[in-house]
This record gives sequence, structure tokens and C-alpha cells, in this order.
Amino acid sequence: MSAFYDEVQELKARYPHWRSATLPALRLAQEKYGYLSTEALRDCAEALGTTPAFCEAVASFYDMLHLAPVGRHMVEVCTNVSCALVGARQVLERFEQELGLHAGETSEDGSVTLRPVECLGGCGWATIVSVDHGYRRFVTPDDVPAIVQELRDGE
Amino acid sequence: MASDARSIVLAGADDRDLTKLAEYEAIGGYSALQKARAMAPQAVIDEVITSELRGRGGAFFPTGRKWAFIPKPDSNPNPHYVVVNADESEPGSFKDHEIMVRVPHRFFEGCLIAAHAVESKNVFVYIRGEYTPPYEVLVAALKELEARPDLRGDATIVLHRGAGAYICGEETALLESLEGKRGQPRTKPPFPAIQGLYASPTVVNNVETLATIPQVIAMGGAEYATLGVPDSRGSRVVSVSGHVERPGNYEIENGTSLREIIYGLAGGIPEGRELKAVIPGGSSTVILKGDEIDVGYDFNSLLRLNTAMGSAGIVALDDRCCMVQLGIRVSEFYEHESCGKCTPCREGTRWMTQILRRLESGDAEQSELDLLLDVCDRINGKCLCPLGETAAIAIASYVNKFRAEFVAHVEDGGCPFGESSPLHDVPAPVALHAQSPAAAVLT
Amino acid sequence: MSAPETVKLTIDGMAVEVPKGTGLVEAALAVGIEIPVFCYEPRLGPPVGACRMCLCQVEPGPPKPQAACTLTAQDGMVVRTALTSQVAADAQNATLEFILVNHPLDCPVCDKGGECPLQDLTFRYGPGNTRMTFPKRTFEKPIPVSPLIALDRERCILCYRCTRFSENVAEDGQLVAVNRGAGSMISTFDDEPYRDPFSGNVIELCPVGALTSTTYRFEGRPWEIQDVPTVCGLCPVGCNVTATTREGKVRRILSRNHPDVDDGWLCDKGRFAYKHLHAPDRLRDPLLRVRRRGFEDVSWERALDEAERLLREAGGRVVTALSGSETVEQAYALAKLMRQGLGAHTALFPEESSDALDAFRLPLSALRDADLVAVLGDAPVVERAPVVELWIKEARRRGARVLYELDEEAVRGADNAVLVWCGPGGHGGATVAALAQRLGATGSFYLPETANARGVCDAWSCASDAEASNPDPIGLLVVSGDEAAANPAVRALAEQAERVLVVSMFHGLAAGWADLVLPGTSYLERDGTYVNLEGRIQRLRRAVIPPAPDELAWISKLAERFGVQISPYPSTVFAEVSAIAFGGIPFGEIGERAPLPAATPAAAALDVPQERTEGDGLRLVRYRPLFSGPAVERVPELEFQRAQPEVELSEKDARALGVRGGEEIVVRSNGTSVKLRARLSRELRSGVVRVPEEYAGDLQPTVEVSK
Repeated sequence: MSAFYDEVQELKARYPHWRSATLPALRLAQEKYGYLSTEALRDCAEALGTTPAFCEAVASFYDMLHLAPVGRHMVEVCTNVSCALVGARQVLERFEQELGLHAGETSEDGSVTLRPVECLGGCGWATIVSVDHGYRRFVTPDDVPAIVQELRDGE
Repeated sequence: MASDARSIVLAGADDRDLTKLAEYEAIGGYSALQKARAMAPQAVIDEVITSELRGRGGAFFPTGRKWAFIPKPDSNPNPHYVVVNADESEPGSFKDHEIMVRVPHRFFEGCLIAAHAVESKNVFVYIRGEYTPPYEVLVAALKELEARPDLRGDATIVLHRGAGAYICGEETALLESLEGKRGQPRTKPPFPAIQGLYASPTVVNNVETLATIPQVIAMGGAEYATLGVPDSRGSRVVSVSGHVERPGNYEIENGTSLREIIYGLAGGIPEGRELKAVIPGGSSTVILKGDEIDVGYDFNSLLRLNTAMGSAGIVALDDRCCMVQLGIRVSEFYEHESCGKCTPCREGTRWMTQILRRLESGDAEQSELDLLLDVCDRINGKCLCPLGETAAIAIASYVNKFRAEFVAHVEDGGCPFGESSPLHDVPAPVALHAQSPAAAVLT
Repeated sequence: MSAPETVKLTIDGMAVEVPKGTGLVEAALAVGIEIPVFCYEPRLGPPVGACRMCLCQVEPGPPKPQAACTLTAQDGMVVRTALTSQVAADAQNATLEFILVNHPLDCPVCDKGGECPLQDLTFRYGPGNTRMTFPKRTFEKPIPVSPLIALDRERCILCYRCTRFSENVAEDGQLVAVNRGAGSMISTFDDEPYRDPFSGNVIELCPVGALTSTTYRFEGRPWEIQDVPTVCGLCPVGCNVTATTREGKVRRILSRNHPDVDDGWLCDKGRFAYKHLHAPDRLRDPLLRVRRRGFEDVSWERALDEAERLLREAGGRVVTALSGSETVEQAYALAKLMRQGLGAHTALFPEESSDALDAFRLPLSALRDADLVAVLGDAPVVERAPVVELWIKEARRRGARVLYELDEEAVRGADNAVLVWCGPGGHGGATVAALAQRLGATGSFYLPETANARGVCDAWSCASDAEASNPDPIGLLVVSGDEAAANPAVRALAEQAERVLVVSMFHGLAAGWADLVLPGTSYLERDGTYVNLEGRIQRLRRAVIPPAPDELAWISKLAERFGVQISPYPSTVFAEVSAIAFGGIPFGEIGERAPLPAATPAAAALDVPQERTEGDGLRLVRYRPLFSGPAVERVPELEFQRAQPEVELSEKDARALGVRGGEEIVVRSNGTSVKLRARLSRELRSGVVRVPEEYAGDLQPTVEVSK
């Protein structure tokens, strides 16, 4: 049995019913595979003891679970009202420029995905940018080149 | 940033690092838990009823009464659950974020008191998937707590991360999601108190509500109820964002005027601009015009203006902002977040966005403004859960309060603000979503 | 039994009294008021309140309209539907407008047109025009969900009936909703076909034209079809069906919900196998063997002359091999001809049958209320009597314990235990009946392999009391029907017979080994009766005229030549049988939804017959898969449903052997071995493995399994 299979069994044990382990298992599979490929979904289904269709139905409901390949790094710019009011669009546009990508795209080398997202719950620290799930507060267009450089250095 | 003297939830956090158990205990942390455990569960519930504490998630339901709905173990042998709604996703609200990051132990203490009150051994904290920083703080704090069986007792706390779906902030959708399913709301009745998680008695409380509980028990319900105004007792952490000098979270006494919050605590509007409008309680609430802020920030006062505190997300908009653009961005949000279960929300939010976009483009006719209001009216009151309804109410409020501006879009054949409005052409996720119907419309 | 507790409420000003727990939709229906619905379907589990079509004003309650489908009638409730409430009427109108904003309105080319709830409810409650001036949501279409089902996602109104069926009824977890909001759509995983024995039910559940049958697509408009109420003849459940016909051909099969028998569900064999009627090798004329290995079509007059000659030449040395799919009337007619006309009392039955069951008779719906169901016999229920599997699943969902081996203590301890025998052995039900008596079970079912095993046995014995003589050598083997013709035991017997007369629908089954072939008919082409596994006598009605005279017609003529009087009319033949075997109930009183005869008083203590036991090793159960046999083989659309080369093992045995699901393993018995994929089953006891007949090769009853 794979390590992933065993980890999912541990997740299941935390809950009154195996099904509650679905989201944690999908998150885990995404970490392992980069995104939820059909193979990843099949592995999840096997470990959970359910069908791949059930796993896909659940995964496709949630924004953070990706059913198509994404970059190794994820840059998510909040463009909801509070961030938009203080310039989220300009921040996003600067990322587009610096990365040579349109919002919603992944770079050809598979290193970065850039996308606008809904409210990240940091409205008072706008513009909020989530870089690999870490929150950057008060981001302005001028901060963008350094963030992009950081990602490149980390490659 | 708990600058008010009425600091309850965030008390002590400015002076000490309360993420550390030792620091929290040094200011008397977890003593309320000991006090509560020495009380009978019903006595704890009575204390919370006396405090008149109401839920801080948005629905403002009396917390003590909610706990009292939970059947006693002898009348319902199923396991009882405490589920924490830490799925803070309402645009404009980031208070639970700050509470979890700064006073995680006070929050856990509240969880354990709730578990004692409803005789539950299992606490599940459903934290929104994007909240990595608060999650990490909670993980560390929980580790400390688990090393202290004297505090934790026989209850277990499980942190459960969401994966990106606003709707999971609705309590029954949250329960579905916690059960590993698509986060689609359930019909009520049955209510979670009777058939919640795995059809067992379940109390669902918001983070701030639970972080308030230790103080309620410590000072006593009657003392807590001396704070605030009738029907809105105690303190509240409000999130202020948008066009203000000092955005952030402020703990206020309920009833503090909105003007004081915006101009006093948050420092007013930058660049000497005019306040055009205020979203008072997150994007789901009816908008206020700039001249409607001399109102107490409490349930009854805001109700008189047909709006609500909601999840206490206050967003200030200055005079550069176009209300049609605001409508588009808010409507796109709800369209993106609609779960797809009930018809009016699924189809109606998409239709609202389409009409608003045409209004902004200047191609709309006057009749389409009425159509927009009619669509809102046809969504409102017909949905399975509040998502679609509040979307419709919010959008309709923009039209009703700023009708002249909407009419100008029709009569002038375009947007009077255009690019000068910061809300101009903001890319929203729904417009980029591969499966999105809006994507086809936009291209 | 005390009268059920009732509640009194008011609906549109009318006083209504209904049993406590009645849903508002049903309560309204009780006084003839329609509360329109799309998503509501009580058979799919608890209501979901998704479509919002049923919005009504309800007091007490919030001022906004309530989803009536999610509420149960309460004392003093005041309900106002669209009939009397403007609020409700506006709400329903709004729901329909929202449903239609993205619906393609392609009704002229939609199979559902004319029998579509969306059309009907829009006509009654909806807006007469559209205010939607934007591009509608588009999807690629139609998507083949399987070779049987096409999905049009633009027509879909997301009522989630199909996905709830998959999740809550069939429990297959294959048909799901993906994405969120307006992008939600129905899907299977990775474009795999929806492969469940009950998949076709989603077509009937769909309230719009989103899920359509590939075999019925563009075959007819509702105003040019005729529906014939009959009963499925492909398994012993006897699901009540409607055969839709157009221009003398069966075009589709729909459920005709008998709540005690099938609860409105059909398996895909029952729903789609009708196409075997139009098989290319269907026989229309009698065939006579001429010289060596050659056949020629002959007239019926000639065929009956030949049949008479064969029967006379054989003297009494005739053996009749029965299929178990003959109607009671056909079987009786044949029995009367053979036994009374020729003194040929020897018959080869497809299986045993026992009347001991009659004392433990229950409707299948009683399974739903059981607190314990013990499934004995080791063969898969779904492969023999598919809908019984759904009843057992429902029992489990309602909290029943379902056991797959006999735990006598558990059965004795249960308040309402029901025993089900499915598998080899079992003595036609005698074993399970005796067990039910000994252990105090509420009732018992025996699942035969053939559709009318019981009726055929009864009919045969009604014709005479004489003992079988087992002639040797056999002068003439009469093979009655396709199942008998496909039965290897019958084929073996034919080797020993001097002459063979085969009645069959298909050239491929009959040619080659018969001296005379008479064309057979299908259950959809016959009038008559079947006795199902419960012991319920049900009416078959002729949906279409067969391409050749039916069996009863020519048996009657042939019998005349032997001085035996047999009416060509099923009603008359039935009366003869009924007088002897069915307590004289008249044909006309069977009705469209047949009642179940009362259980007979139990005999004195029954003996539990000895079941055969084998030696060491795993016991091999070979079973005939649901999707096999002469009819299924002739329907290409059902090909994907055929059994896989798999061996089923219990989880316990798999663990002991270190076998994982999906792994290829070797099943071996002395001298022979088969490689098969392992499938782990929670519904199989340890010590038994199951293999579909077509993959079991020459395996012996006791096998070993290795990696």
C-alpha cells in the first residue's frame, strides 16, 4: 500500500465517518500530484473507499482544488470590492506584465499560475495577494517585481 | 488594534503574545473554562442566555437559546457535536482572521466551554481553506493545548480545512462540506440542533461568538449584558476597509455610531474625499448612502435603515466609485459562489450580472433597469438559503439608493465614471472560469 | 391495528385530513390540488427543495413562500397554492422563468416534447414570453453518458433526480454533478460510461429532455404512440411495465410502478432488451431439416404435419424441455398435449420449485420494513432478480441489518426478519421456507433463475397426476423456448434424442441441432399470465403482433390432431388452470396491478432439506449474469453491460490471500485454471468465490485461488 493510502486511512480515523476525510484527502492528493488528475482522483477514491466520480464531484465544487494542471507557484490576487477599491486591478495588471501572463493563465514552463480570486478575508490589509498560500499584505504595483523575483529565485 | 476600552474578545492582545498558552494563562486564560466546568451544563447555558450574546457570524441568533435547542443526551443518544464556523468569507469581513491569529486560546477556551454546555466531546473547527496563516496559528495553539489534559479534558478538537467555497459559511452547507460532500445547503427543518453533523445534534457557532464566551463566563452574563444597547449587547469586532485612512479591525461596544467608526477609529476618508456609500455588514447587506452613517452600529438602529450588521464588514466607498460597477463586481461574486442547487440563485445571479454589464456598457434601455429590479425581486424570498436572497437585496439596494446614477448610464449611453472609478473593469474569477457561462458573454 | 394518527389542515380553503407524516404535496393531491414539482421524488430519499417549483404560502411559517415538498402536513396548517395565493403564483412563475432563461426551448426536436413536465408546468404556471435577451448558457451536446443514455446539458434543469438516484437508490456513485453554480452539470468520471444495472431509470426520472434513451431517440412523438400495460418477462420479479409501440413495433419499455413489486424501478435488461424482438436472426417461418445440415422454410400446415409425424413416431417416448419463460397458458397447453394426448409425462424443468414458500409469502415491498435481511445461497441477487437488490438496499438504508450468511441467533432475535435465497441449491425454496419457520422469520423469498418457473411447474402438474417415465432412448425432445434451447443440459439431452423439435425465436439458437424448428414469441407478444417469485399472478398483454402465430395458437391446432381440446384463447386456458391451481380466480380479475394472494397456512414443521456440501478449498458459485442470454446477446447497446472477466472474493478471504481489488489472479481446480480480475465484495461470505458462468470455463465446484 502506498504512503498516500496510509495517510488517508489516518485522516479517516479522525472523523465519525470516512466521508469527512474527503476534503483533506483531496488536498493531500493535490499536494502529491500538483493537481487532481484522473489518476489522483482514482487514488483518492481507492483510499477513501468510494468512486472517482464522487471525488470529482466534490473537488470540482471548491475553488482551491484544481482539476487541470497549475503552476508550481500560485499567485492569487484578491479582486473583490475592498481590494479593488485600493487598486487590486493595478496589482494584477503588474503581475501580468512582470510574469508575461494573462490572469488565469499558467506560464509555459509550468512555474507560475496567476489568477484573480474572491475575497481572501484580508480586506483591511488590501491589496491582499496570496503567494503559495502565504498572505502578502498591502501589496501595491511597485511591490510586484520583488515578489516575482522571489518566485524566480526560488525555482 | 483593539483600541477601544471595551476590549473583550481581543483583550490583552495588544500587550502580550496571547498565541502562547503561558501568556494567555498569565492573564487568567482558561480560568473561565474551569469555572464553567464546575457549573452544570444548563447553568452555563443560562449564563449565556443572561448575557444576551447573539451570534457574530451574521444571523445574530441568540447564542444561549441556540445551545438550549440541543437535546439532552438522555433524549437523543447520538453523539453531540460542536462545529465552529471559521469559514469567514464575506467580502469586507476579516475579523475572525484576526481573532484566530491573535487570541487562539481564548477561542479554543470558548469551544471547550460550548462543548461542556451542550455535553459534547467533539469539536470540529471548519476553517476556510484560504486561511493558511490563521490555520498555522491554531495548529500551534492546539498542540500546546493537547499537551495539557487538565485543560482539554475529554473533548477533542479537530481542525478541518475548507477548500474554497463561500457558501460553506452557511451552516448547513458547512455541515455538508464537513461530511465530505459538495457544500450545498440543506433544507431546514430539520435544524442542525436536532439533525446536524451526521444527523446528530449539532451546535454551529462563529469564531467571534466562541471567543466571547470565556469573558461572558468570567464576568458573568449580567455584567456582559450591561455593555452595548438593547438587543445588541456586548462588544463586537468590526472590520473596516475600503476608502478609510486606517483600515483594520476594531473592537467596539455595540451601538457605537457608524460615523465614529469610520471617521473616529478608522480615520476618515483619504485625500479629503467625500464618503459616497457604506456597505455596513459585508457585501450581503443593504448599502447605506454617505449621509446615512449617523446611526448606531447595532441591530435595531440598522434595522430601521433596512440593513444589518451582518458579519460586521464595513466597507467605505468614496465619491469616485460607480455604483453600477460595484453592482457588477458584487453580482459576479455571488454568481461565482452560487452553489447551483436552487434555481433562482443559480440562474438569477447570472442574469443579474448580464443585465448590469449591459447597463455599464451603455447599451441598456430604461426597461432593463426595471427588469433588473424585477429579477432581484423574483430571486428574493424564493431561494433555499440566504446567498441568492442577499445578493438580490444588495444589488436592488444599489439601484434604489443610487437610481439617478443607474438612469444616467442608460440616458448617457455609458458610464459617467469610467476608468476614474477604482471598480472599473476589475477582473473577477467568474469571468475567467473555464466552465463559466459569463466567460462566453464577455468574449 | 389501530387507525393511524391523522392531522387536519386547510389547503386552498379545503379541509384535509391525512395521516401524520404525509407530505404537503401528497396532502394536496388527496383533495385534488396540484402542487407542481420537478425535483421532488420521494423514492429518491429525503426532499431537497432544489427546484423551488413547489413554493406555496404556508402558515404558520415565515412570510415568504415555502417549498411545500420539504414540509409535512401539520395540524392547523393553512396552505395556499398558486390557485388561491398570488404570492405562490408569482413565486412559481418566477421559478419557471429562471428555469427557462437558459433552457434551449428546442421542444420540436426533443424526445420529451409532448410528455414533458417542464412543458406542462410552463403551460399551467409559467410566463408566456421570455425577457431573456442574453446569450444562453451552452454546452457540448449530446453527451453519451453510456451507449444507452444521451445527456443534453442545456436542457438540464439541475433537479438532481438522476444523481440522487445514483447516490441513494442504486448506490453506485457514478452519475454526479460537477462544478458549481451556473456551471454545474451532470457527469460521469472521465467520460466513462454510466455502468449500473439500473442506469436507465434516470431517463424516466428526468423531468425534461436532458437524459434520453439512445434506443428511443427520435423513434416517435407521444401523439403517435400506443402504450400497452404489461409485465416484464425477463426475470422472476415481474416488474410492471408499459410497452410503448408505434407502427406495430415496440419502441421502448417504461416502468408502470407496482409499489409492492418494483416501486417504479426497472433494470436495464428489462428496459432495453426489447430490441431482441427485431433481431436480424428472428425466425418468422417454421424450418424443416432437409437432407443433411440443411434447413428450408416451410408453411405452417407442413410444419404441423411434421410436428404431428415426429410426435407419433416417438410414441410416448417424448421429453419436454421447458424454459420457465412460457406463460402459464402456454405451459399448460403444452402439458395437456403431451400428457393427455401422448402420455408423455416427462419434462425437464429449468429449476426446482416448491410450494412450501406459500406459507411465508410477502410482497417484495415488505423487505423495506425488515429489520434484518439474510441473503442466503451465495449467488448475486442483482444478477437473478435485480429489483430485489434495490429493495434490500433500501432496507439497509432504513437501518436493517443485511447478512450474507445464516446467523440463526440474529434471525431469531430480530423482530422482523426476512430471508432471501439466491443461489444454487435451496430446493426451489423449500430450504428457505423451512428456515423461516424454524427461526421465526416474518417471511421468505426464493429467487428462481427464470421468469415463470413457478407458473410453468404449476401448469405442468395441472395437466396430469401421472409419474414421469424417463424414456430411454428418447424418441423426441421437444425444446420449448430460447432459455431451454440455450441450456447446456438440454443440449446434452438432445445428443441422446432420436429427434429434436425446437421452439425458438432465433435462427442462431435453433438451427443446427433441430429436425423441426417452430418460431417462438417473446413475452411482449403474448397474452397470458406469469407467476412471479412472490407467487403473484400477473397479466401479460400483447404489445405487438408476433411475426408468427403464437405458441398457444399452434399448440391448440396440433392438440386437435391428438384429440385434445385446448382453446387458443389465454383467458379460457387460464380458467382451466385457475380452477385447479389458483383457487378459481378469473382472468379478468387479475387486474393491471395484481394483488398478492394471501399466505397459506403453514404446514406442520417443515424439514430443512440437506444442502450439498463440498470438500476443502473455496466453493465456486457460477452464476448466469443478468446481462447474458439470448435476448441480451441480440442488443448491441447492452454489450457494455456484459459481465467482466472477474472473480468475486469476500474481503476476508482476499486479505488472507493477500489479494487486492483489481489484481489478476488464478482460479484453479484440479486440472484446469482461469485467470480473472479480483473484485472484493462485502456481500459475499468467506469461503465462497463467484464467477460469471461465461468465464468459469471447466472449473470444478471447489477451487483454489492464487496470485
